[in-house]
Amino acid sequence: MRGAQNLMASSRPWIERIGGRSEARTLSSARVLPFVTALLAGLIFVADTFTSLEIAVAVFYVVVVLLSAIFARPRGVIVFSFGCVVLTVASYFLTPGGDIQAGLINTFISIVAIGSTTFLVLRNQSAQLAADDARTQLAHISRVTTLGELAASIAHEVNQPLGAIVTNGNATVRWLSIDPPNLHEAIKTLGYIVEDADRASQIIARLRRLTRRAPAMAVPVDVNDAIREITSLMQHEFRRHRIVLQLSLSDALPRARGDRVQVQQVVLNLLLNAVEAVTAVGDRSRELTIATALEDAKHVCVSVTDTGPGIEASVAERMFDAFYTTKPDGMGIGLAVTRSIVEAHGGRIQVKPNSPQGTTIQFTIPVARGVLPQ
Amino acid sequence: MNAPKQNSLVVVIDDDPSIRRALDSLLRSVGLDVRTFVSVEEFERNTLPDMPTCLVLDIRMPGMSGLDFQRKLAGADRPFPIIFITGHGDIPMTVQAMKAGAIEFLAKPFRDQDLLEAIQAGLETDRTRRAELADLHELRARLSSLTPREREVMSHVATGRLNKQIAADLDVSEITIKVCRGQVMRKMQAVSFADLVRMADRLGVTLTDDH
Repeated sequence: MRGAQNLMASSRPWIERIGGRSEARTLSSARVLPFVTALLAGLIFVADTFTSLEIAVAVFYVVVVLLSAIFARPRGVIVFSFGCVVLTVASYFLTPGGDIQAGLINTFISIVAIGSTTFLVLRNQSAQLAADDARTQLAHISRVTTLGELAASIAHEVNQPLGAIVTNGNATVRWLSIDPPNLHEAIKTLGYIVEDADRASQIIARLRRLTRRAPAMAVPVDVNDAIREITSLMQHEFRRHRIVLQLSLSDALPRARGDRVQVQQVVLNLLLNAVEAVTAVGDRSRELTIATALEDAKHVCVSVTDTGPGIEASVAERMFDAFYTTKPDGMGIGLAVTRSIVEAHGGRIQVKPNSPQGTTIQFTIPVARGVLPQ
Repeated sequence: MNAPKQNSLVVVIDDDPSIRRALDSLLRSVGLDVRTFVSVEEFERNTLPDMPTCLVLDIRMPGMSGLDFQRKLAGADRPFPIIFITGHGDIPMTVQAMKAGAIEFLAKPFRDQDLLEAIQAGLETDRTRRAELADLHELRARLSSLTPREREVMSHVATGRLNKQIAADLDVSEITIKVCRGQVMRKMQAVSFADLVRMADRLGVTLTDDH
């Protein structure tokens, strides 16, 4: 059964969900594998039927079951394994010659092999599924906690347009109470109100998307756009600490394959980490840079650079470990979740020191399937 | 609040575009001249017309903060009155700002009337300051029209010394001092002796010689 586990580990059955796989599945394997599997079942059937009953070719059906686990969900695996059992029994009756008793025993052994393989595959699949769910939940809890810390900032972000609306409303009243009323200015100011209200509701919508608890789905994500949304929620956090944020987003960035909210969570965690780093230095210029680039044509690379005091090598090694923290009130969850998200997306995260000072943390996410770099 | 426009300017510095244009509309709707800037740095790059001016600014901004700017302005030659706006009641900051001479500290969302009244107060403060400054300039010009001897006499007179004493100090006749004193009164356009003393006080004219 070692083989089955290896197959499971290297290749996940439910492609749409973000899981522990390290490689995005290629286009060819996704489409071809079911046919290959069916063809293999056919070949085994023919071989089993035309060899004598003493030869237990049907045992090889376990390979069919294992292959089906790569592309099929549990129900599909059951269908394949049931088919294999039917074919095994059919071969027993169709095989022209051989010892009937030996044939009966061989058929029985094959069916047991197919059945137990199926059982283990299904158990493995459900364990993976549970692990995915746990990871999604942990990511969700960590995200909500982080947003809780940002609550004051987010409230301020909503308050800005609301304050502007109140002022605009007052201004409109005044434009209309002048004699004669200045309709042109009043209408213009009403237009501002509509825009500001829209801005406020967009902030709420972004927040709701971030707090929603949904299974992580791999879809094409516009990483630049996702970053802009996060930084817009953090504006006040930057103002509060008098940090200048530079966005250096690549124009020709293909969409990445991943879960938008989780990608945003990674960006959020890295930015908050960087905010903390730069506020640790006194009056030196507090600058953060977030940059995107296409790396080796297959990965979107996002880097967050700060002008903080830098990270010691011993800390850099452990900073992504769970429960490792340098903060007195920290839990050591944020960056651990960050790494698990990046790795579940098939990307990598690394820390580099900066000269003359500061740190760069960068992560990669694979480019979405079928999306070519422009 | 109607027709308060007496050749004055309100400067709004806020990095949020929504707030900027809202304040711009509100202030223009009551007839004020407004100029808006994204940051203190942008404000400093521009030269303002020379007229009574009042600043409305957000206390927290990227780059130079409102409080730093206030400190900097206080040392400059145009110490504009400042009205601070803040998104959250930050008490230590409020105290600091008010101590440093802010006109008003408004928490968002504020009543427009409060802001407009604060602006009027701010413009009035600046107008008074400017008038005083203009007076001082005028007085300085008059002072510079005095001859060194007249100036010397003025400093003695201002400290309340009698003509006789001054004559003895300067080793000239009392008549000379009297004439000189008349010249000082005329050139300084002082209507009375008390007026001259007050002018000397404002100009900081004191006995500078060996007495």
